[in-house]
Amino acid sequence: MSDRILGILFLGLSIWYGYTAGSYEASFGDPLGPSAFPQIISVPAALVSLGLIFRPDPDPAWSRGTVLLRQVAALVLFVAYALTLVPLGFVLSTFLAVSLFAKLMGAPWVKAGVAGLILSPALFVLFDVLLGLPLPLAPSL
Amino acid sequence: MDTLAFLAQGFAVAMTPTNLLLALFGCIAGTMIGSLPGLGPVNGVAILIPLAFTLGLDPTSALILLSAVYYGAMYGGRISSIILNIPGDEPAIMTTLDGYPMAKKGKAAEALAISGVASFIGATVATLGLTLFAPLLAKAAIYFGPADYFALYVLAFATIGGVSGMNPMKTLLAACIGLMLATVGLDPSTGTARYTGGSYDLYDGFDPIVAIVGLFAISEMLMLFEGNLGATAIPSVGRVVPRMKDILFSLGATLRGSAVGFIAGILPGAGASLGAVMSYSVEKRVSDKNKTFGTGDPRGVAAPEAGNNAASGAALIPMLTLGVPGSGTTAVMLAMLISFNVQPGPLLFQNQPDIVWGLIASLYIANIVLLVLNIPFIGLFTRLLMLPQWVLMPFVLIVSFLGVFAISNSVHGLLVMIAFGVLGYVLRKMEISLIPVVLGVLLGGDMEDNLRRALSISGGDPWILVHSPISIGLYIATAALLVIAFVFAERSTPAPGTSHNVK
Repeated sequence: MSDRILGILFLGLSIWYGYTAGSYEASFGDPLGPSAFPQIISVPAALVSLGLIFRPDPDPAWSRGTVLLRQVAALVLFVAYALTLVPLGFVLSTFLAVSLFAKLMGAPWVKAGVAGLILSPALFVLFDVLLGLPLPLAPSL
Repeated sequence: MDTLAFLAQGFAVAMTPTNLLLALFGCIAGTMIGSLPGLGPVNGVAILIPLAFTLGLDPTSALILLSAVYYGAMYGGRISSIILNIPGDEPAIMTTLDGYPMAKKGKAAEALAISGVASFIGATVATLGLTLFAPLLAKAAIYFGPADYFALYVLAFATIGGVSGMNPMKTLLAACIGLMLATVGLDPSTGTARYTGGSYDLYDGFDPIVAIVGLFAISEMLMLFEGNLGATAIPSVGRVVPRMKDILFSLGATLRGSAVGFIAGILPGAGASLGAVMSYSVEKRVSDKNKTFGTGDPRGVAAPEAGNNAASGAALIPMLTLGVPGSGTTAVMLAMLISFNVQPGPLLFQNQPDIVWGLIASLYIANIVLLVLNIPFIGLFTRLLMLPQWVLMPFVLIVSFLGVFAISNSVHGLLVMIAFGVLGYVLRKMEISLIPVVLGVLLGGDMEDNLRRALSISGGDPWILVHSPISIGLYIATAALLVIAFVFAERSTPAPGTSHNVK
């Protein structure tokens, strides 16, 4: 079933992809222009998705329950870390990210906090001071 | 002789203190990453690429570091295969077939010693082959025109991963996804913005490195939640001492495995994963007189390990000479070279011999370091298997984020990386190989460029694509390999539980 859904989505995508390509204008001296290559790709893409629709593999075991919750939480954490890296500064945002990620992976609160306390200043020194990668240090509020 | 002079020059490059240190560090880090269950060489190299950028290395040193990691991860991959029956990547599956039964019989130390020596011999054969054949192929590659390169890309996309027993349709799907992603951004020859949805952030397209770190490192962290997060109890291994008797018994298997693996590895695209599989099946056909294969036969450990390492070394040959990688990991290394503005291909050997020969020389050094690391010090690495995931993974998380931040210098890059992580996770769950996606993002631009250049030369006449004997030969090879792939997939259904971690 999963394969069929993917096949249908991808079939739609390849049709849109090939159709949109037609709107890109060709220029002089370039016989193919910017639209031909995408149009060429869209053909095998559509064929392969038809193949998936008609000959799907058995479904994979999608995660559910706690595992799924943790994965979603991890994703939220990744996005939050990306968005807070500059405004909160490296040390604070990394401390939060490491501690929460370790906690998500099953560490007890105290150990997770310690991991954050050690890793975040250590990595700051390693990357910013020793390796010269400029990192936002302080919260820029 | 030319080659020897170049090699001497290469050793001069490789023997500088920085490069020696990087090779040593790469060997240790690679073996560590390879030995962690589920983490294979592709992930290892993908995770360490950001480090190469943040360290501010020059291309030669970065390539030396990553190749040492690559070789190290190939060595380390056998540890979790043998002790825990969990292969780190696809080729390592073959090592579990006889390695794990040996460990269950209490012969884990012997299995590790034999496979360590086999890895060494395989990798040495590959490095020797690389020294001898790469310059020859580079000379031949000068005669490749745009149409021939286009044919070569078709071959690589059609065959990568295709012969490995995964659903070939899904491999083609992955290639299409990669090629589609590659067309996002400004078209280099006309400046038309394609598929950007009006967003200026997408005008540069997707940086292959950002895509790779997302596809492999981020998706790996999501995958980990589905496995065992705690510490794993492992049997004690004791001292690993290779005994002459064992080595001699499996020497034939090792040498045959090395030869088969090397030949498989040179194929652009299909290469490295095929090496271990073919070495094992050849060895089984040659030596399995008493039906001992699969029950813990040392030759069944030696052959695929030798083949595996020989193939991964050989996979560097098409990457360096043609710019078309022979395995997933070499695809990742190619991405790194391109972002350093180093274009692999025949001209690399003429214009930047330091990079090529420095790399080859450091592979000889790395190999010896790895033999030392993997025989007497193997106890240290097996103990790593007992660490809970939360100790290592936050480190991987931060290094990935910092590396991508250093490359893209923007939050947009980080978000793109996370999006690729989700894509990678979904594809891996559905058993769709990530390698063709990477290859597509990486080579799609060049593939289109060569196609357009060929047609410009001919004034739009498509017959130029099949005009030269080189391109005709490549298309015939493509067709043959595709037929083999589909026949192979029809006949063999992968055993349940062995393929979910395969990339």
